[in-house]
Amino acid sequence: MAEALIETRGLTRRFGALAAVDGVSLSFEKGRLHAVIGPNGAGKSTFLNLLSGELRASAGRVLLGGADVTRAPPDRLSRLGVGRAYQTANLFPELSCGDCVWLAAQSRLPSSMHFFRPAERYSQVGVRAARALEACGLGQRSAAIAGQLSYGEQRQLEIAMVLATDPVLLLLDEPLAGLGHDEALRVVALLREVARGRTAILVEHDMDAVFSISDSVTVLVDGRVLVSGKPEEIRRSTAVRDAYLGGDFA
Amino acid sequence: MRRRLLLLAGAAALAAVAFSGDRFWLQFLGKAMIGCILAIGLDLLVGFTGLVSLAHSAFFGLAAYALAGLTNGLGLTSPLATLPLCLGAAAAAALIIGWLSLRATGVYFIMVTLAFTQMLYYFFNDAPSLGGSDGLYVQARPVDSRLAAYLAIWASLIAVYLLLSQMLRAPYGRVLEGIRGNEQRMRSLGFPTRRYKLVAFVIAGATAGLAGYLDATLYGFVTPAQLGWRQSGLILVTVLLGGKGTLYGPAFGALLLAFIEHYGEQVTEHWNALIAALVIAVVLFLPRGLAGLLQGRPRG
Repeated sequence: MAEALIETRGLTRRFGALAAVDGVSLSFEKGRLHAVIGPNGAGKSTFLNLLSGELRASAGRVLLGGADVTRAPPDRLSRLGVGRAYQTANLFPELSCGDCVWLAAQSRLPSSMHFFRPAERYSQVGVRAARALEACGLGQRSAAIAGQLSYGEQRQLEIAMVLATDPVLLLLDEPLAGLGHDEALRVVALLREVARGRTAILVEHDMDAVFSISDSVTVLVDGRVLVSGKPEEIRRSTAVRDAYLGGDFA
Repeated sequence: MRRRLLLLAGAAALAAVAFSGDRFWLQFLGKAMIGCILAIGLDLLVGFTGLVSLAHSAFFGLAAYALAGLTNGLGLTSPLATLPLCLGAAAAAALIIGWLSLRATGVYFIMVTLAFTQMLYYFFNDAPSLGGSDGLYVQARPVDSRLAAYLAIWASLIAVYLLLSQMLRAPYGRVLEGIRGNEQRMRSLGFPTRRYKLVAFVIAGATAGLAGYLDATLYGFVTPAQLGWRQSGLILVTVLLGGKGTLYGPAFGALLLAFIEHYGEQVTEHWNALIAALVIAVVLFLPRGLAGLLQGRPRG
Protein backbone atom coordinates (compact mmCIF):
# COMPACT_ATOMS: atom_id res chain seq x y z
CA MET A 1 0.00 0.00 0.00
CA ALA A 2 1.27 3.43 -0.96
CA GLU A 3 2.03 6.05 1.63
CA ALA A 4 -0.90 8.02 3.03
CA LEU A 5 -0.78 11.76 2.40
CA ILE A 6 -3.64 12.66 4.70
CA GLU A 7 -5.27 10.57 7.37
CA THR A 8 -8.15 11.06 9.77
CA ARG A 9 -8.49 9.21 13.05
CA GLY A 10 -11.87 9.14 14.73
CA LEU A 11 -12.62 12.55 13.23
CA THR A 12 -15.84 13.94 14.69
CA ARG A 13 -17.73 17.18 14.37
CA ARG A 14 -20.87 17.83 16.35
CA PHE A 15 -23.38 20.61 15.81
CA GLY A 16 -25.30 20.57 19.07
CA ALA A 17 -26.65 17.07 19.46
CA LEU A 18 -26.05 16.16 15.84
CA ALA A 19 -22.79 14.48 14.88
CA ALA A 20 -22.40 15.59 11.27
CA VAL A 21 -19.12 13.69 11.02
CA ASP A 22 -18.94 10.83 13.47
CA GLY A 23 -15.69 8.99 14.15
CA VAL A 24 -14.39 8.91 10.59
CA SER A 25 -11.05 7.14 10.19
CA LEU A 26 -9.79 7.24 6.62
CA SER A 27 -6.45 7.20 4.92
CA PHE A 28 -5.90 8.82 1.51
CA GLU A 29 -2.99 7.55 -0.52
CA LYS A 30 -0.62 9.85 -2.29
CA GLY A 31 -1.11 10.43 -5.99
CA ARG A 32 -4.68 9.15 -6.18
CA LEU A 33 -8.07 10.70 -6.77
CA HIS A 34 -10.38 9.74 -3.95
CA ALA A 35 -14.10 10.35 -4.09
CA VAL A 36 -16.38 10.79 -1.10
CA ILE A 37 -20.03 10.23 -1.87
CA GLY A 38 -23.18 9.94 0.17
CA PRO A 39 -26.76 11.17 0.35
CA ASN A 40 -27.57 14.76 1.29
CA GLY A 41 -26.68 15.48 4.89
CA ALA A 42 -24.20 12.60 5.05
CA GLY A 43 -21.51 15.01 6.28
CA LYS A 44 -19.44 15.19 3.10
CA SER A 45 -18.99 18.96 3.08
CA THR A 46 -18.43 19.04 6.82
CA PHE A 47 -15.74 16.42 6.35
CA LEU A 48 -14.05 18.58 3.71
CA ASN A 49 -14.32 21.66 5.93
CA LEU A 50 -12.57 19.75 8.71
CA LEU A 51 -9.74 18.82 6.34
CA SER A 52 -9.31 22.40 5.12
CA GLY A 53 -9.39 23.87 8.64
CA GLU A 54 -12.56 25.86 8.10
CA LEU A 55 -14.25 23.89 10.87
CA ARG A 56 -12.65 22.73 14.09
CA ALA A 57 -12.95 19.06 14.97
CA SER A 58 -14.95 18.21 18.10
CA ALA A 59 -12.84 15.08 18.51
CA GLY A 60 -10.34 13.02 16.59
CA ARG A 61 -7.30 13.98 14.60
CA VAL A 62 -6.14 14.93 11.11
CA LEU A 63 -2.63 13.97 10.05
CA LEU A 64 -0.99 15.51 7.00
CA GLY A 65 2.16 13.71 5.96
CA GLY A 66 2.22 12.23 9.45
CA ALA A 67 2.08 15.62 11.25
CA ASP A 68 -0.90 16.54 13.40
CA VAL A 69 -2.76 19.44 11.77
CA THR A 70 -6.08 19.03 13.58
CA ARG A 71 -6.09 22.57 14.93
CA ALA A 72 -4.31 24.32 12.07
CA PRO A 73 -6.22 27.32 10.59
CA PRO A 74 -7.04 27.41 6.85
CA ASP A 75 -4.19 29.76 5.90
CA ARG A 76 -1.63 27.49 7.53
CA LEU A 77 -3.07 24.39 5.85
CA SER A 78 -2.99 26.18 2.51
CA ARG A 79 0.68 26.91 3.01
CA LEU A 80 1.24 23.26 3.87
CA GLY A 81 -0.18 22.40 0.46
CA VAL A 82 -3.89 21.84 1.04
CA GLY A 83 -5.82 23.55 -1.76
CA ARG A 84 -9.56 23.94 -1.43
CA ALA A 85 -12.03 24.52 -4.28
CA TYR A 86 -15.54 25.50 -3.30
CA GLN A 87 -18.95 24.27 -4.31
CA THR A 88 -20.61 27.64 -4.69
CA ALA A 89 -18.44 30.12 -6.51
CA ASN A 90 -16.19 31.64 -3.90
CA LEU A 91 -14.24 34.13 -5.98
CA PHE A 92 -13.42 37.80 -5.86
CA PRO A 93 -16.46 38.91 -7.85
CA GLU A 94 -15.18 42.42 -8.60
CA LEU A 95 -11.73 41.36 -9.77
CA SER A 96 -10.73 40.12 -13.21
CA CYS A 97 -9.90 36.44 -13.70
CA GLY A 98 -6.27 37.43 -14.06
CA ASP A 99 -6.29 39.27 -10.73
CA CYS A 100 -8.08 36.43 -8.92
CA VAL A 101 -5.46 33.93 -10.02
CA TRP A 102 -2.74 36.47 -9.35
CA LEU A 103 -3.76 36.65 -5.69
CA ALA A 104 -3.72 32.87 -5.48
CA ALA A 105 -0.25 32.72 -7.03
CA GLN A 106 0.99 35.57 -4.83
CA SER A 107 0.09 33.53 -1.76
CA ARG A 108 3.15 31.37 -2.52
CA LEU A 109 5.55 34.26 -1.92
CA PRO A 110 7.21 33.67 1.45
CA SER A 111 5.36 36.79 2.59
CA SER A 112 3.22 39.47 0.96
CA MET A 113 4.38 42.16 3.37
CA HIS A 114 6.05 44.00 0.50
CA PHE A 115 5.12 47.64 0.46
CA PHE A 116 7.08 49.34 -2.31
CA ARG A 117 7.85 47.34 -5.44
CA PRO A 118 4.80 47.22 -7.73
CA ALA A 119 3.17 43.79 -7.71
CA GLU A 120 3.41 43.28 -11.47
CA ARG A 121 7.21 43.25 -11.19
CA TYR A 122 7.05 39.97 -9.28
CA SER A 123 7.33 38.05 -12.50
CA GLN A 124 7.40 34.58 -10.97
CA VAL A 125 3.91 35.27 -9.61
CA GLY A 126 2.70 36.36 -13.03
CA VAL A 127 4.09 33.26 -14.70
CA ARG A 128 2.49 30.97 -12.16
CA ALA A 129 -0.85 32.76 -12.47
CA ALA A 130 -0.84 32.69 -16.28
CA ARG A 131 0.02 29.02 -16.29
CA ALA A 132 -2.87 28.14 -13.97
CA LEU A 133 -5.31 30.20 -16.02
CA GLU A 134 -4.10 28.55 -19.22
CA ALA A 135 -4.33 25.06 -17.71
CA CYS A 136 -7.98 25.66 -16.86
CA GLY A 137 -8.90 26.91 -20.32
CA LEU A 138 -9.23 30.55 -19.30
CA GLY A 139 -6.07 31.81 -21.01
CA GLN A 140 -8.14 34.14 -23.18
CA ARG A 141 -10.39 35.34 -20.36
CA SER A 142 -7.82 37.03 -18.17
CA ALA A 143 -9.52 40.42 -18.35
CA ALA A 144 -13.07 39.16 -17.76
CA ILE A 145 -14.64 40.11 -14.44
CA ALA A 146 -15.03 37.04 -12.22
CA GLY A 147 -18.56 37.89 -11.10
CA GLN A 148 -19.78 38.01 -14.70
CA LEU A 149 -18.50 34.61 -15.85
CA SER A 150 -20.82 31.76 -16.75
CA TYR A 151 -21.36 29.05 -14.16
CA GLY A 152 -18.96 26.69 -15.88
CA GLU A 153 -16.28 29.32 -16.29
CA GLN A 154 -16.58 30.26 -12.61
CA ARG A 155 -15.92 26.64 -11.75
CA GLN A 156 -12.89 26.67 -14.06
CA LEU A 157 -11.63 29.84 -12.38
CA GLU A 158 -12.22 28.29 -8.98
CA ILE A 159 -9.98 25.39 -9.96
CA ALA A 160 -7.41 27.70 -11.57
CA MET A 161 -7.09 29.62 -8.31
CA VAL A 162 -6.44 26.45 -6.37
CA LEU A 163 -3.95 25.26 -8.98
CA ALA A 164 -2.06 28.55 -8.77
CA THR A 165 -1.28 27.75 -5.13
CA ASP A 166 0.44 24.58 -6.37
CA PRO A 167 -1.22 22.29 -3.82
CA VAL A 168 -0.11 18.76 -2.97
CA LEU A 169 -3.64 17.90 -1.86
CA LEU A 170 -6.71 19.14 -3.71
CA LEU A 171 -10.04 19.28 -1.91
CA LEU A 172 -12.83 19.54 -4.46
CA ASP A 173 -16.33 20.24 -3.19
CA GLU A 174 -18.96 19.21 -5.77
CA PRO A 175 -17.21 20.80 -8.74
CA LEU A 176 -20.01 19.64 -11.07
CA ALA A 177 -23.01 20.83 -9.06
CA GLY A 178 -25.36 23.00 -11.12
CA LEU A 179 -23.50 22.57 -14.40
CA GLY A 180 -25.12 21.68 -17.69
CA HIS A 181 -24.10 18.49 -19.47
CA ASP A 182 -21.48 20.06 -21.75
CA GLU A 183 -20.02 22.21 -19.02
CA ALA A 184 -19.85 19.19 -16.74
CA LEU A 185 -17.95 17.19 -19.37
CA ARG A 186 -15.48 20.03 -19.73
CA VAL A 187 -14.93 20.27 -15.98
CA VAL A 188 -14.56 16.47 -15.66
CA ALA A 189 -11.83 16.54 -18.32
CA LEU A 190 -10.20 19.40 -16.44
CA LEU A 191 -10.38 17.54 -13.13
CA ARG A 192 -8.80 14.49 -14.68
CA GLU A 193 -6.01 16.71 -15.96
CA VAL A 194 -5.30 18.60 -12.74
CA ALA A 195 -5.52 15.51 -10.54
CA ARG A 196 -2.78 13.81 -12.51
CA GLY A 197 0.30 13.50 -10.34
CA ARG A 198 -1.50 15.02 -7.35
CA THR A 199 -3.64 13.76 -4.54
CA ALA A 200 -7.26 14.81 -4.65
CA ILE A 201 -10.34 14.30 -2.52
CA LEU A 202 -13.51 14.85 -4.49
CA VAL A 203 -16.94 15.25 -2.94
CA GLU A 204 -19.52 14.77 -5.66
CA HIS A 205 -23.11 13.86 -6.42
CA ASP A 206 -22.64 12.97 -10.07
CA MET A 207 -22.17 9.18 -9.92
CA ASP A 208 -21.05 8.70 -13.52
CA ALA A 209 -18.30 11.25 -13.05
CA VAL A 210 -17.24 9.74 -9.73
CA PHE A 211 -16.95 6.22 -11.06
CA SER A 212 -15.19 7.32 -14.22
CA ILE A 213 -12.41 9.40 -12.69
CA SER A 214 -11.72 8.22 -9.15
CA ASP A 215 -9.26 5.61 -7.92
CA SER A 216 -11.12 4.96 -4.68
CA VAL A 217 -14.56 5.72 -3.34
CA THR A 218 -15.76 6.20 0.23
CA VAL A 219 -19.45 6.21 1.05
CA LEU A 220 -20.53 8.35 3.99
CA VAL A 221 -23.95 7.87 5.56
CA ASP A 222 -25.09 9.81 8.63
CA GLY A 223 -21.55 11.03 9.22
CA ARG A 224 -20.06 7.53 9.30
CA VAL A 225 -18.09 5.53 6.77
CA LEU A 226 -20.40 2.94 5.28
CA VAL A 227 -17.84 1.42 2.99
CA SER A 228 -14.61 2.35 1.29
CA GLY A 229 -12.98 0.68 -1.71
CA LYS A 230 -12.31 0.62 -5.41
CA PRO A 231 -15.05 2.10 -7.63
CA GLU A 232 -16.12 -1.29 -9.01
CA GLU A 233 -16.45 -2.75 -5.51
CA ILE A 234 -18.62 0.15 -4.45
CA ARG A 235 -20.72 -0.19 -7.56
CA ARG A 236 -21.37 -3.86 -6.73
CA SER A 237 -21.92 -3.38 -3.01
CA THR A 238 -25.50 -4.17 -2.02
CA ALA A 239 -25.15 -2.21 1.20
CA VAL A 240 -24.38 0.91 -0.80
CA ARG A 241 -27.27 0.25 -3.14
CA ASP A 242 -29.69 -0.12 -0.28
CA ALA A 243 -28.42 2.79 1.76
CA TYR A 244 -27.86 5.31 -0.89
CA LEU A 245 -27.90 4.54 -4.55
CA GLY A 246 -31.43 3.22 -4.71
CA GLY A 247 -32.75 0.04 -6.28
CA ASP A 248 -32.72 1.34 -9.83
CA PHE A 249 -28.99 1.92 -9.84
CA ALA A 250 -27.16 -0.32 -12.28
CA MET B 1 -4.10 61.08 -16.86
CA ARG B 2 -6.67 63.79 -16.28
CA ARG B 3 -6.67 62.78 -12.63
CA ARG B 4 -2.91 63.07 -12.38
CA LEU B 5 -2.92 66.54 -13.88
CA LEU B 6 -5.61 67.68 -11.48
CA LEU B 7 -3.68 66.34 -8.51
CA LEU B 8 -0.48 68.03 -9.66
CA ALA B 9 -2.32 71.31 -10.20
CA GLY B 10 -3.91 71.01 -6.76
CA ALA B 11 -0.58 70.32 -5.08
CA ALA B 12 1.05 73.26 -6.90
CA ALA B 13 -1.80 75.59 -5.94
CA LEU B 14 -1.54 74.60 -2.30
CA ALA B 15 2.23 75.19 -2.42
CA ALA B 16 1.74 78.59 -4.08
CA VAL B 17 -0.44 79.74 -1.18
CA ALA B 18 2.64 79.47 1.02
CA PHE B 19 4.26 82.30 -0.91
CA SER B 20 1.29 84.60 -0.49
CA GLY B 21 2.20 84.70 3.18
CA ASP B 22 -1.41 85.44 4.10
CA ARG B 23 -1.93 84.39 7.72
CA PHE B 24 -5.53 83.43 7.30
CA TRP B 25 -5.01 81.23 4.28
CA LEU B 26 -1.99 79.51 5.79
CA GLN B 27 -4.00 78.62 8.86
CA PHE B 28 -7.14 77.71 6.96
CA LEU B 29 -5.54 75.57 4.26
CA GLY B 30 -3.09 74.08 6.73
CA LYS B 31 -6.05 72.85 8.74
CA ALA B 32 -7.80 71.64 5.59
CA MET B 33 -4.74 69.66 4.50
CA ILE B 34 -4.56 68.03 7.93
CA GLY B 35 -8.13 66.92 7.21
CA CYS B 36 -6.88 65.49 3.90
CA ILE B 37 -4.22 63.41 5.65
CA LEU B 38 -6.81 62.09 8.08
CA ALA B 39 -9.23 61.19 5.30
CA ILE B 40 -6.58 59.51 3.14
CA GLY B 41 -5.41 57.43 6.10
CA LEU B 42 -8.93 56.31 6.95
CA ASP B 43 -9.58 55.49 3.30
CA LEU B 44 -6.84 52.87 3.54
CA LEU B 45 -9.08 51.06 6.05
CA VAL B 46 -12.58 51.90 4.83
CA GLY B 47 -12.03 51.96 1.08
CA PHE B 48 -9.23 49.49 0.52
CA THR B 49 -9.50 46.97 3.32
CA GLY B 50 -13.23 47.12 4.07
CA LEU B 51 -12.70 48.03 7.73
CA VAL B 52 -14.86 50.82 9.16
CA SER B 53 -12.95 52.20 12.12
CA LEU B 54 -14.13 54.87 14.54
CA ALA B 55 -10.76 55.00 16.28
CA HIS B 56 -9.08 57.27 13.75
CA SER B 57 -9.50 60.40 15.87
CA ALA B 58 -8.07 58.60 18.89
CA PHE B 59 -4.67 58.25 17.21
CA PHE B 60 -4.86 61.85 16.06
CA GLY B 61 -5.46 63.01 19.62
CA LEU B 62 -2.91 60.70 21.18
CA ALA B 63 -0.10 62.02 18.99
CA ALA B 64 -1.15 65.61 19.74
CA TYR B 65 -1.18 64.91 23.50
CA ALA B 66 2.15 63.13 23.13
CA LEU B 67 3.64 66.27 21.60
CA ALA B 68 2.24 68.41 24.41
CA GLY B 69 3.66 65.97 26.95
CA LEU B 70 7.09 65.86 25.35
CA THR B 71 7.47 69.61 25.01
CA ASN B 72 5.88 70.63 28.32
CA GLY B 73 7.17 67.79 30.44
CA LEU B 74 10.54 66.94 28.97
CA GLY B 75 11.37 70.10 27.06
CA LEU B 76 11.75 68.17 23.83
CA THR B 77 10.80 70.22 20.78
CA SER B 78 13.01 69.26 17.86
CA PRO B 79 10.94 67.53 15.17
CA LEU B 80 13.75 64.99 14.83
CA ALA B 81 12.90 63.75 18.32
CA THR B 82 9.23 64.57 18.71
CA LEU B 83 7.96 63.43 15.33
CA PRO B 84 9.19 59.81 15.60
CA LEU B 85 8.12 59.60 19.23
CA CYS B 86 4.62 60.93 18.57
CA LEU B 87 4.13 58.74 15.50
CA GLY B 88 5.49 55.82 17.50
CA ALA B 89 2.97 56.49 20.26
CA ALA B 90 0.08 56.58 17.78
CA ALA B 91 1.31 53.43 16.04
CA ALA B 92 1.78 51.58 19.32
CA ALA B 93 -1.73 52.51 20.41
CA ALA B 94 -3.03 51.37 17.02
CA LEU B 95 -1.20 48.09 17.43
CA ILE B 96 -2.83 47.39 20.79
CA ILE B 97 -6.31 48.68 19.89
CA GLY B 98 -6.16 46.98 16.49
CA TRP B 99 -4.96 43.70 17.91
CA LEU B 100 -7.95 43.65 20.24
CA SER B 101 -10.55 45.13 17.88
CA LEU B 102 -9.71 42.90 14.92
CA ARG B 103 -10.85 39.88 16.90
CA ALA B 104 -14.31 41.20 16.07
CA THR B 105 -15.67 41.69 12.57
CA GLY B 106 -18.36 43.74 10.86
CA VAL B 107 -20.47 45.95 13.07
CA TYR B 108 -18.83 44.55 16.22
CA PHE B 109 -15.47 45.79 14.99
CA ILE B 110 -16.96 49.27 14.56
CA MET B 111 -18.39 49.15 18.07
CA VAL B 112 -15.13 48.04 19.66
CA THR B 113 -13.18 50.83 17.96
CA LEU B 114 -15.86 53.27 19.13
CA ALA B 115 -15.54 52.00 22.69
CA PHE B 116 -11.77 52.46 22.72
CA THR B 117 -12.12 55.97 21.32
CA GLN B 118 -14.59 56.98 24.00
CA MET B 119 -12.46 55.38 26.68
CA LEU B 120 -9.52 57.55 25.66
CA TYR B 121 -11.75 60.60 25.36
CA TYR B 122 -12.96 60.26 28.94
CA PHE B 123 -9.48 59.49 30.15
CA PHE B 124 -8.15 62.80 28.84
CA ASN B 125 -11.35 64.70 29.60
CA ASP B 126 -11.41 63.62 33.24
CA ALA B 127 -7.73 64.03 34.05
CA PRO B 128 -7.11 67.47 35.60
CA SER B 129 -3.34 67.01 35.29
CA LEU B 130 -3.83 66.72 31.51
CA GLY B 131 -5.92 69.86 31.34
CA GLY B 132 -9.29 68.13 31.53
CA SER B 133 -11.82 69.31 29.01
CA ASP B 134 -9.78 72.48 28.33
CA GLY B 135 -6.89 70.47 26.97
CA LEU B 136 -3.24 71.48 26.97
CA TYR B 137 -1.07 74.12 25.39
CA VAL B 138 2.05 73.03 23.55
CA GLN B 139 4.46 75.43 25.20
CA ALA B 140 7.19 75.18 22.59
CA ARG B 141 6.26 74.06 19.09
CA PRO B 142 8.52 71.93 16.88
CA VAL B 143 8.57 74.69 14.25
CA ASP B 144 8.13 78.30 15.24
CA SER B 145 6.60 79.94 12.19
CA ARG B 146 3.20 79.43 10.68
CA LEU B 147 4.81 79.24 7.24
CA ALA B 148 7.13 76.42 8.31
CA ALA B 149 4.19 74.54 9.79
CA TYR B 150 2.23 75.03 6.57
CA LEU B 151 5.07 73.70 4.44
CA ALA B 152 5.51 70.72 6.76
CA ILE B 153 1.80 69.92 6.42
CA TRP B 154 1.96 70.26 2.65
CA ALA B 155 5.00 67.97 2.40
CA SER B 156 3.38 65.45 4.77
CA LEU B 157 0.21 65.30 2.70
CA ILE B 158 2.15 64.68 -0.51
CA ALA B 159 4.34 62.08 1.20
CA VAL B 160 1.38 60.20 2.72
CA TYR B 161 -0.44 60.19 -0.61
CA LEU B 162 2.56 58.93 -2.58
CA LEU B 163 3.55 56.32 -0.02
CA LEU B 164 0.05 54.89 0.28
CA SER B 165 -0.44 54.87 -3.53
CA GLN B 166 2.81 53.00 -3.95
CA MET B 167 1.92 50.56 -1.19
CA LEU B 168 -1.46 49.83 -2.73
CA ARG B 169 0.20 48.82 -6.01
CA ALA B 170 2.62 46.50 -4.22
CA PRO B 171 1.84 42.90 -3.20
CA TYR B 172 0.65 44.14 0.18
CA GLY B 173 -1.98 46.34 -1.48
CA ARG B 174 -3.23 43.43 -3.54
CA VAL B 175 -3.75 41.45 -0.37
CA LEU B 176 -5.84 44.26 1.10
CA GLU B 177 -7.92 44.35 -2.07
CA GLY B 178 -8.46 40.60 -1.75
CA ILE B 179 -9.47 40.93 1.89
CA ARG B 180 -12.03 43.57 1.00
CA GLY B 181 -13.43 41.35 -1.75
CA ASN B 182 -13.55 38.01 0.07
CA GLU B 183 -11.63 37.63 3.29
CA GLN B 184 -12.58 34.01 3.92
CA ARG B 185 -11.25 33.03 0.50
CA MET B 186 -8.01 34.90 1.19
CA ARG B 187 -7.52 32.75 4.27
CA SER B 188 -8.11 29.59 2.33
CA LEU B 189 -5.55 30.78 -0.23
CA GLY B 190 -2.97 30.90 2.54
CA PHE B 191 -3.03 34.52 3.73
CA PRO B 192 -3.16 35.07 7.51
CA THR B 193 -5.61 37.92 6.95
CA ARG B 194 -5.79 39.27 10.48
CA ARG B 195 -2.08 40.06 10.43
CA TYR B 196 -2.47 41.98 7.17
CA LYS B 197 -5.43 43.91 8.55
CA LEU B 198 -3.53 44.74 11.72
CA VAL B 199 -0.64 46.18 9.69
CA ALA B 200 -3.13 48.34 7.75
CA PHE B 201 -4.68 49.47 11.02
CA VAL B 202 -1.26 50.48 12.39
CA ILE B 203 -0.28 52.32 9.20
CA ALA B 204 -3.60 54.19 9.22
CA GLY B 205 -3.13 54.94 12.92
CA ALA B 206 0.33 56.35 12.24
CA THR B 207 -1.02 58.65 9.50
CA ALA B 208 -3.71 59.88 11.90
CA GLY B 209 -0.95 60.43 14.43
CA LEU B 210 0.98 62.46 11.89
CA ALA B 211 -2.11 64.60 11.35
CA GLY B 212 -2.48 65.09 15.11
CA TYR B 213 1.17 66.04 15.46
CA LEU B 214 0.84 68.60 12.67
CA ASP B 215 -2.38 69.97 14.15
CA ALA B 216 -0.79 70.51 17.55
CA THR B 217 2.17 72.12 15.78
CA LEU B 218 -0.06 74.47 13.80
CA TYR B 219 -2.40 75.48 16.64
CA GLY B 220 -0.26 74.96 19.69
CA PHE B 221 -2.92 73.22 21.75
CA VAL B 222 -4.85 70.00 22.00
CA THR B 223 -8.27 69.23 23.50
CA PRO B 224 -10.01 65.97 24.32
CA ALA B 225 -12.85 66.87 21.93
CA GLN B 226 -10.40 66.34 19.06
CA LEU B 227 -10.09 62.67 19.84
CA GLY B 228 -13.75 61.92 20.56
CA TRP B 229 -15.86 59.78 18.30
CA ARG B 230 -17.56 62.79 16.66
CA GLN B 231 -14.27 63.59 14.97
CA SER B 232 -13.97 60.00 13.78
CA GLY B 233 -17.51 60.22 12.43
CA LEU B 234 -16.66 63.39 10.55
CA ILE B 235 -13.60 61.81 8.95
CA LEU B 236 -15.72 58.84 7.92
CA VAL B 237 -18.25 61.20 6.32
CA THR B 238 -15.40 62.92 4.50
CA VAL B 239 -14.21 59.61 3.07
CA LEU B 240 -17.68 58.66 1.85
CA LEU B 241 -18.33 62.12 0.44
CA GLY B 242 -15.08 62.17 -1.49
CA GLY B 243 -15.30 58.58 -2.70
CA LYS B 244 -13.83 55.68 -0.78
CA GLY B 245 -11.17 53.49 -2.26
CA THR B 246 -9.50 56.25 -4.29
CA LEU B 247 -7.24 58.13 -1.80
CA TYR B 248 -7.55 61.38 -3.76
CA GLY B 249 -11.36 61.42 -3.42
CA PRO B 250 -11.32 61.66 0.38
CA ALA B 251 -8.58 64.33 0.19
CA PHE B 252 -10.81 66.34 -2.11
CA GLY B 253 -13.74 65.73 0.22
CA ALA B 254 -11.76 67.15 3.13
CA LEU B 255 -10.89 70.32 1.21
CA LEU B 256 -14.47 70.76 0.11
CA LEU B 257 -15.81 70.34 3.63
CA ALA B 258 -13.34 72.91 4.94
CA PHE B 259 -14.58 75.45 2.39
CA ILE B 260 -18.22 74.71 3.06
CA GLU B 261 -17.62 75.13 6.76
CA HIS B 262 -15.83 78.43 6.26
CA TYR B 263 -18.23 80.05 3.82
CA GLY B 264 -21.28 78.34 5.25
CA GLU B 265 -20.59 79.89 8.63
CA GLN B 266 -20.80 83.34 7.07
CA VAL B 267 -24.15 82.59 5.48
CA THR B 268 -25.94 80.71 8.24
CA GLU B 269 -25.20 79.29 11.64
CA HIS B 270 -26.87 76.10 10.47
CA TRP B 271 -24.09 75.32 8.02
CA ASN B 272 -23.98 71.78 9.36
CA ALA B 273 -27.35 71.26 7.69
CA LEU B 274 -25.73 72.19 4.37
CA ILE B 275 -23.15 69.48 4.86
CA ALA B 276 -25.81 66.99 5.86
CA ALA B 277 -27.80 67.74 2.71
CA LEU B 278 -24.69 67.37 0.57
CA VAL B 279 -23.80 64.05 2.15
CA ILE B 280 -27.31 62.70 1.64
CA ALA B 281 -27.30 63.85 -1.99
CA VAL B 282 -23.91 62.26 -2.67
CA VAL B 283 -24.78 58.97 -1.00
CA LEU B 284 -28.04 58.76 -2.97
CA PHE B 285 -26.88 59.94 -6.38
CA LEU B 286 -23.12 59.40 -6.42
CA PRO B 287 -22.51 56.12 -4.62
CA ARG B 288 -18.84 56.32 -5.50
CA GLY B 289 -18.57 59.78 -4.03
CA LEU B 290 -17.35 62.92 -5.73
CA ALA B 291 -14.40 60.94 -7.15
CA GLY B 292 -16.99 59.03 -9.18
CA LEU B 293 -17.50 62.19 -11.25
CA LEU B 294 -13.89 61.97 -12.39
CA GLN B 295 -13.93 58.30 -13.23
CA GLY B 296 -16.76 58.47 -15.71
CA ARG B 297 -18.88 55.37 -16.16
CA PRO B 298 -18.47 52.54 -13.67
CA ARG B 299 -16.10 49.80 -14.72
CA GLY B 300 -17.43 46.36 -15.49
